[in-house]
Amino acid sequence: MNYLVDGLRQALLLLAQGDAATFSAVWTTLAVTFEAMAATLVCGVPAGFFLGYATFPGKRAARLLVETFLSFPTVVIGLVVYAFLSRRGPLGEWGLLFTVPGMAVGLTILGLPIVIALTAQAVENLDPRLRPTLLTLGAKPRHVFWATLSEARFGILLATTAAFGRIVSEIGISMMLGGNIKWDTRTITTAIALETGKGEFATGIALGLVLMGIAFLVNLAAAVCRRRQAA
Amino acid sequence: MSALYELSDIVQRYDGREVLCLPQLSIAAGSIVGLAGPNGGGKSTLLRLLAFLEFPVAGEVRYRGQATRGREFALRGEVTCFPQEPYLLKRSVRANVGYGLALRGATDIRERVDAALAQVGLDPARFAGRSWRQLSGGEVKRVALAARLALRPAVLLLDEPTANLDRDSAELVRRAVLSAREAHGATLVISGHDQPWLRAICDDILWLADGRLAGPAANPGPSGAVSDNTTFAGNSGRQS
Repeated sequence: MNYLVDGLRQALLLLAQGDAATFSAVWTTLAVTFEAMAATLVCGVPAGFFLGYATFPGKRAARLLVETFLSFPTVVIGLVVYAFLSRRGPLGEWGLLFTVPGMAVGLTILGLPIVIALTAQAVENLDPRLRPTLLTLGAKPRHVFWATLSEARFGILLATTAAFGRIVSEIGISMMLGGNIKWDTRTITTAIALETGKGEFATGIALGLVLMGIAFLVNLAAAVCRRRQAA
Repeated sequence: MSALYELSDIVQRYDGREVLCLPQLSIAAGSIVGLAGPNGGGKSTLLRLLAFLEFPVAGEVRYRGQATRGREFALRGEVTCFPQEPYLLKRSVRANVGYGLALRGATDIRERVDAALAQVGLDPARFAGRSWRQLSGGEVKRVALAARLALRPAVLLLDEPTANLDRDSAELVRRAVLSAREAHGATLVISGHDQPWLRAICDDILWLADGRLAGPAANPGPSGAVSDNTTFAGNSGRQS
């Protein structure tokens, strides 16, 4: 039990002293999460809106495909993206393997099905009176699109926080595509795995605390947003 | 009085089932037309056609003498519809009432929202800042009506506007919709089951049953019979 308390004490000390290696992993995590979330939302929200709003042949198959990807093993995503980004792969000349953007590609593939599926569900669950209401008030197609997105904002916010939680805490993809290179592609999760393996509990706990803090702050911000928008 | 709407040989079907069949109908500009009849008689379908929310499978709806297909987005700028169960956007009362005005690029949104709320008996100081979820069922209806009145539409279509409202609220609605005609010359088409209320407000009343304008024998309506192929001309009365 003592080593846990000691680990926690040392972890707080590391954070208070601004340990460079610890904060390098934190910044890398924030950078890769930001890039992956931006790509996920830019691609996922319109795709989810289309899937939830439009009627087209093959819609049910598309929905099934997206839902299948929700439970896709992350190691397989890492493996497939690795195969594409490695030097012998079709995208090898882009030089993305073992870089932050390369990790972001893999994490985007992880987050996309979450955002698409939850956005589609949010749009599908909207009140069927919404569209005729907007039309009778004089809305044109682009107004209908934006107002529908706005009405589905709570669901989209939920999709965003769910995808964030998945991306920020992912380890398999980060390890395979980033390589866990210190000062460069080492993230909080890969660092925790490494430090724990080395018996360095203090660093692992410190990084774990930061990760939980980030997750808490993001969820708090989402809750505040939701509360303000609902008022 | 000139005809605002001219409907000819209208047939509307849902899932192959005929829900409306109107050989001919015209509605005069500036008139107040009531639609009465049993549930499922075709009143709401007719209102949706008049609101350009849908088009008939056969026949033609002409507005101001012109064909309407393909022009629905432009026409909805002057025709608005108050549905049976109105929906409010997940925004404040002010944002709800001002939504259509903002789409039209109005510059005096605040004043017009306040005036419309007052018109339906809601104090702007008390209600404008409220959230959509802080309203009772009757208040939701009145806010939704204010959102339509604020637009000063050329045509205001109302689908059972007094359903589930108490007598005072129904009277407020009556005054509010009448003021739309008096102040802006709006044409009103109102469906409802409250026949005394309809009689008090409408220039004339059509009886719709089984998707057809009912003949004299089948018409228990308040203002006499309407033959199946009658042209209706609003407050100028019926013309064969």
